Amino acid sequence: MKTEKYIEDLIQREKATEPNPYLSARVMAQIAKENFGKEDQPVITKTPVWQTVIAATSIVAFAFLGVLAGNSYSKNVSYEIAININDRQIESLDYYNFEDYE
Amino acid sequence: MSDEQIIQDIISGNKDAYRELVEKYQRMVFRTAIGFLHSREDAEDITQDIFIKVYESLKSFKGKSEFSTWLYRITINTSINFANRNKKNWLLQSIENLFDKSNNEKNPLELLETSERDHMVREAIDSLPDAQRTAFVLSKYEELPQKKIALIIGKSEGAVEQLLNRAKMNLQKKLNPAVGKTSN
Repeated sequence: MKTEKYIEDLIQREKATEPNPYLSARVMAQIAKENFGKEDQPVITKTPVWQTVIAATSIVAFAFLGVLAGNSYSKNVSYEIAININDRQIESLDYYNFEDYE
Repeated sequence: MSDEQIIQDIISGNKDAYRELVEKYQRMVFRTAIGFLHSREDAEDITQDIFIKVYESLKSFKGKSEFSTWLYRITINTSINFANRNKKNWLLQSIENLFDKSNNEKNPLELLETSERDHMVREAIDSLPDAQRTAFVLSKYEELPQKKIALIIGKSEGAVEQLLNRAKMNLQKKLNPAVGKTSN
C-alpha cells in the first residue's frame, strides 16, 4: 500500500541520518566543563537564624540608644552659658604688627 | 568489558571510561530521538543532554535492568518532553528538508511533494498517543523485538503487540485520505 510505503520511506531516510562524529567528544567536553565549574564554585554556607536575629536586634538597639542619647543631650543644654572664645587670647597677633618690631 | 564493569569503573573515578559508553550507545540514542523529533539538530542536542543526564545519575543506576533498557527509558521520556515543548514549525522543517543532501537528485516539484508527504507522515506519527508512538518508534527505528519493547515500557508482550497494531491502524486512518489527495 502507498501509505505504508511512504511511512517506510521516511523511516528509512531518518534512520540513515548519522550523528555528528564528534558527539562523544562534545559530551565529554561538556561533562568536564560542568565538573570544573562545580569544583570552582565557592562553598556558600547558610547563616544560622540566631545570628541573623542577633544582628538585627543589635542594629535596632544601637539606633534606639542613638536616639535616646540624642534626646538626652538636647534636653540638658543650658542657654545661660554661652561659649566665648577670644582668638586674640590664644595668640596675640598685635605683637607682629608693632612698627618697631624689627 | 561489560556495561556493568564500565559503570563501576566510572563510579570509582575513571571519568574517561564514560567515553566508551557514549560511543557504544550514541547511535542508539540518536536514532530513537530522531524517531520522536524528526530533526537531526534536535536529536543531536537531545542525545548530548541525555548522556550528560545519564552521567550525573549513574550512581542511581542499580543494575536491576540492563543498562540499555534504562538508557532507552531516559531517551524516550526526554524526547517526548522535548517534542511536546518544542513543536517545530512545519515551514521551518520543510525548508530543512528542501536543503537535505539526500534530496539533491530530485527536481523542485518532486522535492515539494516529498516534503509535503513527509510532513503528513511526521504529523501522523506525532499525533499518536505516547504509548503507541513509543512502541512504534522502538519497533520501526530501532527494530527491537516485542519482548525488549515490553521490558522498556513496562508492559506485557501482548500489550505491545496491541499498541503496534493500533498505531498502524491510526496511521493508516490519518494518512489514507491525505495521501490519496497528494498522489492524484
